[in-house]
Amino acid sequence: MVQTPKVAVLFGFGINCDRETAAVFELAGAASERVHVNHFVSGERDLSEFQILAVPGGFSFGDHLGSGRLLGNRMRFAMREQLSAFVAAGKPIIGICNGFQVLVKTGLLPGREVPDFEQRASLTLNNSGRYEDRWVTLEFDPDSPCIWTKGITRIECPVRHGEGRFVMPSSTDLDGLDSNNQIVTRYVDPSTEPGKGITDQTLPFPLCPNGSIRNIAGICDPTGLVFGLMPHPEAAYATFLHPHHTRKDVNEEILAEGMQIFRNAVEYAQANL
Amino acid sequence: MRDVRGDSVKRQLAADHGVEIDSVRSIVGFLIASEIDEKQISERVDDIFADPIIEESATNALHLENKELFPQASDMVVTIGFKAGVTDNPGKAALDGFLTIFPDAGADARISTYLTYAFTGVPKGIEVEWLAKQLHNGLIERALYSLSGEPTPEIEYIPVTPSDYAAPATIDLEISDDELLKLSDEGLLALNLEEMQTIQAHYRDPEIRAARAALGLPENAPTDVELECLAQTWSEHCKHKIFAAHIHHVDTETGEDSEIDSLFKTHIMNPTLEMKDEVDWLLSVFHDNSGVIAWDDEWSLCMKAETHNSPSALDPYGGAMTGIVGVNRDILGTGLGARPIANTDVFCFGPPDWEGDLPDNLFHPSRVLRGVHAGVRVGGNESGIPTVNGAIVFDDRYIGKPLVYCGTIGIMPRKLADGRESHEKNPQAGDRVYMVGGRVGYDGIHGATFSSLELTEESPSSAVQIGDPITQKKMLDMILEARDAGLITCITDNGAGGLSSSIGEMAEYTNGCRIDLGKVPLKQEGLSSWEILVSESQERMTVAVSESDVSAFEALATLHEVEATWVADFTDTGQFHVLHGEDTVASLPIEFLHDGVPQLRLESEWKSPELIQFSPPESPSHTPLLMRMLARPNIASKETWVRQYDHEVIAQTAVKPFVGVERDGPGDAGLLAPIHGSTHGLVVSNGISPRYSDIDAGAMAAAAVDEAVRNAVCTGVDLSKVAGLDNFCWPDPIESKKTPDGKFKLAQLVRANRELERICRAYFVPCISGKDSMKNDYGSGENKISIPPTLLFSLFGNHPDVRYTTTSDLKPGESLYLVGESKQELGASELAFMLKESGEAEGIGGEVPQLPEPEKNLASYKALTKAIQSGIVRTAHDCSEGGVAVAIAEMCIGGRCGAAIDVDGPGDADLWGRLWGESLGRILVGVKQENRKEFLAAMKGNPLTYMGETTDGDTLGIWDGDDLVIEANVEEMVSAWKGSLDMTGGVQ
Repeated sequence: MVQTPKVAVLFGFGINCDRETAAVFELAGAASERVHVNHFVSGERDLSEFQILAVPGGFSFGDHLGSGRLLGNRMRFAMREQLSAFVAAGKPIIGICNGFQVLVKTGLLPGREVPDFEQRASLTLNNSGRYEDRWVTLEFDPDSPCIWTKGITRIECPVRHGEGRFVMPSSTDLDGLDSNNQIVTRYVDPSTEPGKGITDQTLPFPLCPNGSIRNIAGICDPTGLVFGLMPHPEAAYATFLHPHHTRKDVNEEILAEGMQIFRNAVEYAQANL
Repeated sequence: MRDVRGDSVKRQLAADHGVEIDSVRSIVGFLIASEIDEKQISERVDDIFADPIIEESATNALHLENKELFPQASDMVVTIGFKAGVTDNPGKAALDGFLTIFPDAGADARISTYLTYAFTGVPKGIEVEWLAKQLHNGLIERALYSLSGEPTPEIEYIPVTPSDYAAPATIDLEISDDELLKLSDEGLLALNLEEMQTIQAHYRDPEIRAARAALGLPENAPTDVELECLAQTWSEHCKHKIFAAHIHHVDTETGEDSEIDSLFKTHIMNPTLEMKDEVDWLLSVFHDNSGVIAWDDEWSLCMKAETHNSPSALDPYGGAMTGIVGVNRDILGTGLGARPIANTDVFCFGPPDWEGDLPDNLFHPSRVLRGVHAGVRVGGNESGIPTVNGAIVFDDRYIGKPLVYCGTIGIMPRKLADGRESHEKNPQAGDRVYMVGGRVGYDGIHGATFSSLELTEESPSSAVQIGDPITQKKMLDMILEARDAGLITCITDNGAGGLSSSIGEMAEYTNGCRIDLGKVPLKQEGLSSWEILVSESQERMTVAVSESDVSAFEALATLHEVEATWVADFTDTGQFHVLHGEDTVASLPIEFLHDGVPQLRLESEWKSPELIQFSPPESPSHTPLLMRMLARPNIASKETWVRQYDHEVIAQTAVKPFVGVERDGPGDAGLLAPIHGSTHGLVVSNGISPRYSDIDAGAMAAAAVDEAVRNAVCTGVDLSKVAGLDNFCWPDPIESKKTPDGKFKLAQLVRANRELERICRAYFVPCISGKDSMKNDYGSGENKISIPPTLLFSLFGNHPDVRYTTTSDLKPGESLYLVGESKQELGASELAFMLKESGEAEGIGGEVPQLPEPEKNLASYKALTKAIQSGIVRTAHDCSEGGVAVAIAEMCIGGRCGAAIDVDGPGDADLWGRLWGESLGRILVGVKQENRKEFLAAMKGNPLTYMGETTDGDTLGIWDGDDLVIEANVEEMVSAWKGSLDMTGGVQ
């Protein structure tokens, strides 16, 4: 039992969201540390020191050879044993935006029960052809094994990416993910009733901001411990970050719905690790 | 799979040129030279170069000749690669990834990238040369192309040719004045005769001669290294000689005949220093890379804005990108290193729909817009710094020179763990000086002197660079760790003038330095000594480290994979001493280098320009005028552009660039809460109004300051802690054969400075950092294009609590008030320009908005911010271009609701003035019914007019007493406002 789970928040090589990701884990009751990727690569530090791993958003290596590819390679080739051991120990991993792209390219997502580091999906250029920052509405599969999203029906948070269109080689692959409830979260039309927004039909821009197949915004591995998503829940950690906060009277409460994802992991670690 | 990259090219050709092509497909290529054989690479190609899920890959074969992938021959094929030596970021990343997989690839392994586009269904009349031209910039890229049936072009790797090393030369200055000037011109030194003579005199001084003899330097003449170093250090760009000049100013209207000893000292520095005596929060002004203010007991903030106009004219993408990442380094180089947390960008361009002639060598404004936007987008987004506020201004004259203002705000802990104050540099003689980050190359030679000259067809391509945000980001991560570990004693960036400026400036602290150019890591061999010293190659910081901290500093560099090289030492010899290996190649007294430049003496003469007066058409219909105004590029929504900037990274942006129900109404200022979990805020805003210079540049300056302040007031800024940045872009104001109207342009500068001082004093906004760019002209004679004199005023200020703020979108059930008063001020207004361009009016002259009593405006602003901070106001919007009519329309757009207002009220302005006039000091406010009484009490004693109410309908109705003068449907206003600058060509 850990009272205050330790979170390793990766940074370096163009990861950008490390500070806010570390901060929201702290606000959720964890102790976070920003750790340079090379500390793990060199073996000077080991993932086993931590209970949670976060791969934040950013532009690792400028995303020049496809988003997340080069950082994914460093992790796939140099941190393979540490990552396998981390997953085997039942410890949660989250990848946000570029971090999601990294986890997909390392093969940890959609992944297997025991990681084999084979890439099975990809995140590619938005249909619009451009990078955009805009708020979206997300809904969550209530039956997903994902430990990060328990009890969450719908949240709003921003997407900020140019390569967020989730693809797999065939629709059978997607059906497989779906039947395992690994399609954790999808873009939905905010005018639908909460809990009833999810649809397989790709929604028009900008509801589905990137043209992602079946509106997929995030997936998990079969264990539900490894979770990746394109949108940025950490950027919705506070009520005053919501674009509509001035449309209501002043809300004295600071922490907002985006926090729940991080709290879930902290509580999971407290209960299970 | 859909080819999004190809589709984007297709859409862009349609949007910009109306050229519809059936299909564009793209192929990414890598040229690899290494010791790894083809088979091995081919086996791993999907591990690095291609994504196995979405891409097809081939090694040593052309996709275009693969009948399965390309069953039909393409009509045209264009391949674009970089020219040798140009920064190829994807190539650099690819090499990094290649070495992860093949550590034995060899020390000389290299990778360069290219893109091939295959076009089918090209309309008749479109030539392949034209297509290639649209897709590349010949200054930095090369293009190969072929037509159907021709062999597919194969691009070859072009190695960088080593530069021709030239041993340091001695430059004889014992020549005639004409020859001195010729030397300056031909060598791109940008020094005038008096400056050349000052240098000449230096080398005639017997003491100097004796000292030089002792060092083994030529006794009575400079080396080329010295002359180049002086030219850089004394350039207009680095020394701001016009702002430091002695000016004889004559006003032909008032009879004034006066002398001004430095505009900068008189109107900017002295007022700020006087304000500094009154408050405790101005920590560092003028002497560092940016000004620093105390935000609270724990944190300080700093801000800097720069321009990158000339490079952006030559290569909009690279010029703008180096602009933004360059100003980020100014922040990193402030104090002992601040962390950039927000960018602002303000651009001035020619009209994007320009159909007139374009002078040789200039890009179409739409291409400049696309390129600059892409450069700032990539530079900001990849660096993880949100772009929170900005503007795009259009005027025909910016075709000659676009203005690209990039600003950055930084934050640092006030005290480091070792107790040192972070805003103070404290190097000691004996400290080691490291060059950190990128290497030095031939790129960026003569940037500072080049920007101090007007743009011509011969402008050098070495002045163009492409930024490398990832190299810089790694450096930034490393330097902030080094700072927190207490390893840095002094830091500055390498911008204009390269090492000569960065080490030269830092050497003032200890009074001396010794540099060894032989240690400087180079991008290509063969650079001459002077080139290494002055090259402005990007992504470099200069950092001083105590002897005892050297190993810890180097270990951090290794961890972050950042190159850090010991290139110099601080001394106390009084000399800027440069060696190349064993040989001394330059030695200049620090004092002469920094303070030796003679003061310019300039003439200024003011006479109001004669303009045709604006008179509105006789039988107007204001509703269609509103629709046309909303679609004016200067007013229209820039959302499709701005959304491509990350404005929310760091999770701190409480008021975003777009606000309201559909998140598409205009935001007035950026509001940030940079400390996670805290509501303590920081406001960032900008003001710019260049067209008022057509009537009076003084009014232009006053308007810029007022607009920035007004925007900040709308967020509820704390007016007791606000600091400003003056950023002047002027046409050359020195009278000469090339500039016969120099006296007038200088008088404009004098008037702008006087108004800047007056308003800043009245509002108590100290200017803590500024910049000027004084040669914004293109060409000469009749074809000369000079920009309108432009002051960008940027501001950052404290905000007590970001929850207590407003946005411009109307909320249901609000009463509407106008703070301030509408006057009859339509001169140089957006309406006047629109009606003149359409032929409905003769001219734009008339009363330009003025600020006769700024202290009264300040009283209103203080009352309003207090009301906002108490939570009773949630809606406020600044009135600027297009006046009240446009402001209320934008508020309806943001709120997606109707409103009914009456513009009749106090003052003498007629209906035109009340609707469209751009009087300063005005803010439209929405207040919920239940808060009205409290609001009125808060605003008591200040000019406030009740305007009307929001409505449940979908119409904006504007009344003049009993007459309904504008009736506009909200959705139609949305279309007009959002349609005209959406150049994306659709998204699906």
